[in-house]
Parts: sequence; structure tokens; C-alpha cells
Amino acid sequence: MTDQIERELLLPVPPQQVWEVITVPGFLDEEVELELEPGGDARFGGGKTGWVEEVVPGERLAFWWSTDGEPASRVELTLEQEADGYTRLRVVEARPLEVLDVTGIPLAGSGGVQHGPAMLAGVA
Amino acid sequence: MSATDQVFGALADPTRRALLSTIARHPSTATELAGGLPISRQAVVKHLGALTDAGLLERERAGREVRYRVTPAPLSDAVSWMAHVGAQWDDRLAALERSFGGRSLSA
Repeated sequence: MTDQIERELLLPVPPQQVWEVITVPGFLDEEVELELEPGGDARFGGGKTGWVEEVVPGERLAFWWSTDGEPASRVELTLEQEADGYTRLRVVEARPLEVLDVTGIPLAGSGGVQHGPAMLAGVA
Repeated sequence: MSATDQVFGALADPTRRALLSTIARHPSTATELAGGLPISRQAVVKHLGALTDAGLLERERAGREVRYRVTPAPLSDAVSWMAHVGAQWDDRLAALERSFGGRSLSA
């Protein structure tokens, strides 16, 4: 059982142009610090923290985020080139139940999102 | 064992995850659940006990049997999460759309 949100948006610019906007402050949050590499740290405004799972520049960004004390969720942003220079942006944010319960355990000190394979248990 | 450990333990087993997923769609009795699985009714009852002890399922009388349903609290939590997080994405995408002049394909 997974809580999941899906959205799609067609934008009249090429993928690279969308990529440059969605990975900097302003889109995901007013404050965004992303280490764009697998396992990289992710920091957002309001004490939201996480880590980067996958980066394919101009195509795909997958990361996990969580506000202190709340269950973590996984965000996947996918960019697909369409005809006439358009880009299809697909957003999936999911909070898998298995992960929800793993991260329900308060993490000593960090208060952030736990890194590593334990987070991915049960995520198909 | 803490409540969280109990939930984690209950969900560590793939059969129990499958049972929970089935019951989330249709509240069911142990007999109904056993009919769709390659395990005995007795084994199903044992799994349901673990899920109930973890607070994930609750029991209600259904004639001579017991019907299991997912406890309302986690479900309402899921609904409020989807409403809240969904609204945030609507806002982000609307702002992005305005900046590029695109159009939304799904609400």
C-alpha cells in the first residue's frame, strides 16, 4: 500500500531549460541545496532534509525528503522531450507504507532522513 | 517491544503486506483471505493476529466469523497527506507553468 501523488505538465521549452529551473531554489522550495549525485545531501527550507537517490541531468531526479519527525517520501521528477521543443514534466511523490514505518523511528541526532538501503526496503 | 517495532515486524513479512493490501481494498474474513492464498486459514489467522497487534487492523463481528479492516487512523492520515502534498505540487507546477507558459495535463 503506497500513498502516491502523480502530476504531469507540458512546458514549451526543452528539457535542459526545465532541468535548470527545477533543481535550483524557487521550484521545490524557496530554499534548495541539492548535491546532484547519488547519496548526496538535500536541504530545503523549513528544516526539510533528505538525500539524492538518482540523477540523470536533463532527464531524471529522484530524491527523498522529510520534515523533522514526519515520514519520508520519495520524489521522482522525469523530463521527456516532446515534439516542437516541448518538455513533459512528470512528478511522482510516494510515501511507501513500509518506508513510512521504518522512518517512524526517531533517528538519533540527525532528525533528518535516513540514508541507505534500509530506506528502500519494500520499494518496488 | 515498541509500537513502531511491532509495526515494522508485522510488515517485514511479504504475506502480511499482501494481506494488508488486500484488506485495505476489501475488508475480509480469514476464510475469504485464505481462499485466495496458497496457505492455510490457520496461517492466515496467525498473520492477521500480528497485524492486529501492531494496530494496523481491527476486528468486527461478521455473523459467526470476524471481519478484518484496516484501522481508520492510518487511512485518514494517508488522505490528509495526499491532500496536503498534492496541493503543494499543484502550487509548484502552477508557478512553473506561469514562468514558462505551459499547460497542465492532469489535475
